[in-house]
Amino acid sequence: MKYVILVKQVPDTTRIKVDENGNLIRQGVPSILDPYCEYALDMVCRIRKPEDSVIVVSMGPPQAKESIFRCLELGANEAYLLSDKAFAGADVFATSRTLTAFIRKFAADYDLIFCGKQAADGDTAEVPAETAAMLNVQQFCYSENIIISDTIKVTQNYNDEIRVCTVPKGSVLSVSIGDINRRVPSISDHIKALNIEIKTLDRIALGLGMYSVGIKGSKTKIESSYSPRYEHSGKIIDGTDPSEAAKLLIKEVL
Amino acid sequence: MIHSRKLESDSPYLTDESKLSGAADMLFIPDDEEDVVKIVVSHNSSKTPLTISAMRTGVCGGCVPKEGDIVSMEKFNKIIGIGKDDKGYFIRTQAAVTVKDLNEIIRKKLYSELQNITDDAIECILSERTDYFYPVDPTELNGSIGGNISTNASGPRTYKYGPTRDWVRRIRIILSDGNVLDILRGEIKAKNRVFSIPVDGKNITVHIPSYEFNRDVKNTTGLMTGPDMDLIDLFIGSEGMFGIITEADIYITEWHPLMSNIIFFPSDDNAYNFVKEFVNSHIDPEFIEFFDTGSLNLIRKSKKNDPKFTKMPDIPDYAGSAIFFDISNDENIVSKYNELSQIAKIYGGSLDHSWCGHELKDRERFFAFRHSVPQTIFEYVASLKGSMPGMHKMGTDMSVPLDHLDEMIDSYSEVLTSKKLEYVIFGHIGNGHLHVEIILKSMDDLSKAKKAYRTLALRSIELGGSPSAEHGIGKIKSEYIELLYGKQGVEDIKKTKRELDPNWIFCPGNVVE
Ligand SMILES: Cc1cc2nc3c(=O)[nH]c(=O)nc-3n(C[C@H](O)[C@H](O)[C@H](O)COP(=O)(O)OP(=O)(O)OC[C@H]3O[C@@H](n4cnc5c(N)ncnc54)[C@H](O)[C@@H]3O)c2cc1C
Repeated sequence: MKYVILVKQVPDTTRIKVDENGNLIRQGVPSILDPYCEYALDMVCRIRKPEDSVIVVSMGPPQAKESIFRCLELGANEAYLLSDKAFAGADVFATSRTLTAFIRKFAADYDLIFCGKQAADGDTAEVPAETAAMLNVQQFCYSENIIISDTIKVTQNYNDEIRVCTVPKGSVLSVSIGDINRRVPSISDHIKALNIEIKTLDRIALGLGMYSVGIKGSKTKIESSYSPRYEHSGKIIDGTDPSEAAKLLIKEVL
Repeated sequence: MIHSRKLESDSPYLTDESKLSGAADMLFIPDDEEDVVKIVVSHNSSKTPLTISAMRTGVCGGCVPKEGDIVSMEKFNKIIGIGKDDKGYFIRTQAAVTVKDLNEIIRKKLYSELQNITDDAIECILSERTDYFYPVDPTELNGSIGGNISTNASGPRTYKYGPTRDWVRRIRIILSDGNVLDILRGEIKAKNRVFSIPVDGKNITVHIPSYEFNRDVKNTTGLMTGPDMDLIDLFIGSEGMFGIITEADIYITEWHPLMSNIIFFPSDDNAYNFVKEFVNSHIDPEFIEFFDTGSLNLIRKSKKNDPKFTKMPDIPDYAGSAIFFDISNDENIVSKYNELSQIAKIYGGSLDHSWCGHELKDRERFFAFRHSVPQTIFEYVASLKGSMPGMHKMGTDMSVPLDHLDEMIDSYSEVLTSKKLEYVIFGHIGNGHLHVEIILKSMDDLSKAKKAYRTLALRSIELGGSPSAEHGIGKIKSEYIELLYGKQGVEDIKKTKRELDPNWIFCPGNVVE
């Protein structure tokens, strides 16, 4: 079997704070492999046989290699970074088109494609479905469990509905849960990963035109983006001196 | 403004992580240095004892009052500015800033609202290509800088970077008469074991104890001494005996990418023997930490009750002990791992039987894993307090030269097993400094443990070590001063104390009775 996993590097959203204007403070926030992508990788590593090949691919800036490297440490055996200045600002459509071009040109003989259910920074959850549509294959989103025997069976959880489906080869699956205790590679895994080259492919290598990729190839135009603000009506009273605090509290309440 | 209130007998201010219980009348919380001076002057004139308290993470009862009042420095939690001198960048902070907050500011470079202590320091540091960090990382990140200075705290990385002492540039301290002493390292040195300290137009004469302070091992037993030592070093590690630290300058250093590693061994012996070769290799770890079988079982048990406990995978069944270390993640890493593999193999270890991680998120998990052992024990002892109010933690904090570690480990097992006490061993093996935590089950265990502890303290001294390597003496371990320095040593410390605090107001009971 040949598995392709689409992964993304994202800022560690658990560390991002929002300033008073609703803007994300990204300074000093480290980048990590998107947790859902890691679940997808985990799922593949659990079902793969030793002779199977596991290819990871990510569209992103050169620093995304760090996250691809983590995939190699955790069991992938081939890796590609799709990186080009022209890819910047890609929306779901342009991203899926770029990934699709890669699959058609470099991994056309794949058996299954896995993705995280959504990237923790963009949160659209649409790249898996869009990529499946572009490849004209079936999509199985929100997968939780996969069993491979003579057939491939997957359990999808849509919250209000659980489906168990037979998956034809060539399909795209997105994975929504995994072990929250992230796996840890061994030192041997790390050394093995150091010996695998991460191949970088640009727009020309993928055979894509300037107007098919990045912001120019995007259909979404973002007018503004902000985090919703919640107005807190509560008031904090300094409790250093409890009796003083109690007096203030009574004053507030009465 | 000074906040004050009467203390109830169950107030959290009357204990620390040792779970020792104290007693005091009033709690004072100053907002600024002026408030501190007022509190000190009034206590000095009425000769009322004043115990200094910060984040209360101490494990020897240093901030636990015996009588009198408490001054809590908790409002001194602001980072002031950045400066640069010949030794590099330093951060100026108020005393109660926690190590966690300090790390956060440095890592995120949140410097824009700080003051320039020297010209353009902020602009300069922001234009540097490298990142910076504060290398002394005591396991307990909620401890304050003032508390760390007062106990000369150290952590795993002391193996490579030394204890807090080595990173303190300057302190501001309020003496018992209310005078403020601003001490910059290098400015005031002793002559023939005597300091002449200029204060308020006069000179105070202070004698340094006559004993030799062992700096070959990690050591926080008593005051540091030396014939021509720096005045700042008398205050560092003095456990609040001489005054209240309000502010400090702390050096930071260049950060480099790191790889955290845990390598598992079949048994405790394998790991000890591995370490002896590891320290002499070319691998140059930042620290070397040890977990014995008991510690791993403690984690396994906690994880069974709460799968998210350490946010780590399950410890493999084959693991009987583990060694945790960081190494620089640079172009030489593979050759370092090759050397490591050779050594590990001899002692039943393998690079396949290991964990490693380089993303910050992972490295933090490794540290949480390390912290989980003492944390579990602290929580266990706290849970016993309900039925056994006199209970407190009994953990050793003894260091010996690495060459004598075998003998010390033999003594731990002989002494504790003969007393039928259950224990776990973990900690800073690279510094010959292991923590042995006794899993107390009854008050009878506590008294047996106290006797055992004394025997073990004597043994560590015999082997050229220190009975208190990093936690200080506080009120729980004051008898070790006499064990190590004799009666004369105790008298000498008392003399120094009287010279700086004639009315003996600050933290009575700390270090010497
Ligand atoms: C789980 C756990 C792990 C720990 N690991 C380590 C470790 O790895 N290394 C280590 O060294 N310690 C360790 N400790 C002990 C503790 O964190 C340190 O002793 C720390 O320095 C105490 O800081 P604090 O702010 O809590 O001080 P407190 O406990 O409040 O006080 C400690 C002492 O310092 C004095 N003091 C505090 N502030 C001032 C001030 N501003 N001026 C003058 N005197 C002052 C107090 O009087 C007292 O004697 C650990 C504790 C726990 C609970």
